[in-house]
Amino acid sequence: MTNILALRKKAERLSREAMYDIVRAPLITEKATALSEKNQVVFKVAISATKPEIKVAVETLFGVKVVGVNTLVQKGKTKRFKGRMGQRSDIKKAFVQLAEGQSIDLTAKLA
Amino acid sequence: MQVTDTLSEGLKRGFTITIPAAELAEKRDARLKEVAANLTLPGFRPGKVPVSLARQRHGEAVRAEVLEQAVSDALRTALEERGLRPAGQPQVELVSGQEDDGKDLEFKVETEILPDITVPDLSDLSLTRLKAVASDEAIDKIVADVAKRQRTFETVEEVRPAVKGDVVCVDFLGKRDGVPFDGGTAQDVNVEIGGEGFIPGFAEQIEGMKAGEEKVITVTFPENYGAEELAGKEATFDITVKSLKKPVDAPIDDELAKQLGFETLEQLRDLVRKQIEGEYEQLSRLRIKRELLDALATKTDFQAPQGMVEAEFQQIWQRVEADRKDGQLDDEDKGKDEETLRSDYRKIAERRVKLGLLLAEIGRKNAITVTQDELGRAMRAEAMRYQGQEKEVFTFFQNNPQAIESLRGPIFENKVVDYLIELAKVEDKEVTPEELSDIPPADI
Repeated sequence: MTNILALRKKAERLSREAMYDIVRAPLITEKATALSEKNQVVFKVAISATKPEIKVAVETLFGVKVVGVNTLVQKGKTKRFKGRMGQRSDIKKAFVQLAEGQSIDLTAKLA
Repeated sequence: MQVTDTLSEGLKRGFTITIPAAELAEKRDARLKEVAANLTLPGFRPGKVPVSLARQRHGEAVRAEVLEQAVSDALRTALEERGLRPAGQPQVELVSGQEDDGKDLEFKVETEILPDITVPDLSDLSLTRLKAVASDEAIDKIVADVAKRQRTFETVEEVRPAVKGDVVCVDFLGKRDGVPFDGGTAQDVNVEIGGEGFIPGFAEQIEGMKAGEEKVITVTFPENYGAEELAGKEATFDITVKSLKKPVDAPIDDELAKQLGFETLEQLRDLVRKQIEGEYEQLSRLRIKRELLDALATKTDFQAPQGMVEAEFQQIWQRVEADRKDGQLDDEDKGKDEETLRSDYRKIAERRVKLGLLLAEIGRKNAITVTQDELGRAMRAEAMRYQGQEKEVFTFFQNNPQAIESLRGPIFENKVVDYLIELAKVEDKEVTPEELSDIPPADI
């Protein structure tokens, strides 16, 4: 069983470059915009990223306080191309709950 | 909106117009909302895109659009409030507010206004309508021309040398180096002396031969002759003249008229007369219009807006420049240097602008408009000029409403002119056709 404490410790040691690899892009959809009312932001993240890693990455990159992270993996669809079966990549989405009074301007470029 | 007058000098007017930033922002947000409602983005159902996203994507464009709209709206209201009619497009210069920095929008406007045009008293206008009657000689000349085209040939009985204009019936035998060649022999061929022959020198050498005479002639085929083996070569022809025919002009009588589809000669003459008189009438109309415009020009006492004069002058000048390049300047203009030419044409431009304004004003005052019917007729007339492509012309007009508008101007002008001629005292005067077509040097 994975040790949560070990994961947290590992996340502390993330380099800045690694963080950019973890947070891929903001997810801008109707649902994501609606969630901004609850002070939640949605990102596409690396499939291997863990919740502690996402938390540290978002806090450092955007300079905010993160209260919690929920993730889900959206499985890629199987598609046929010229009779052969193909697989679209899976995507991991992270719903990040920001501390009260904090916000992220998704339209601005990352520093 | 706040308007301050800054300039009022002659026909020039200037304002500074200020629009509060808040008013502008309100308009922009309203427009953004509309844009957002029609936007489709991945991740959003149609029409569900939030305004903030729409602003991020199209904010700049919407702002520019609203700005432009606000400027033209403000300009129109400002002019309307003052009851001014601008001549041409007003010059607008943005002072502040073009950036999204929360400053009020402020811009300067400079324009020329149309002068107050007082329509001069036209009741004492007197014009002369020149009338010319088609003379019998003129008709005779045209009928004679017609007759000439209908000429016939008749055989000459007496034996005389063939002269120019005769048609000679010959047999010929063509030989090259003494050997007859293919296609070089024929019988009973009609050759017109002095006409376009098939081989140069062929017909000319037959000239002077009598019926029954025989002769050998030598000709050289032209380089570009149809049959390759003969081109550029020399050949001899044994010619036998069989008979001579001379052209006879068709006599001018009912018979001639019948050939042309009329019943009597009188009818043919009538048609010719009508044609001539139609031409005279057009000339006469041109003359009376000129006289009218000259008369009007002396009565215009308002100032012409310099901007319009300049635009008109540029147009004329362009044509003059082009003519000069092609070396086909009017003889009258040839001796003048650039300076004189320019000032001459500037005067013409000013006169045109003034007359145009005056005619437009008279038309407006007297509710002269161009009807759809008249536009349609003008369109058909235009289409007739492109034989065989009438359909394309109509489609062009259907697809280009502004092209139809360009037809409107001349029609309107003519209607106003008609109206004025109707109004004026018109005196008829008989003149000879020569006098009628002797138009004094003009600038209209």
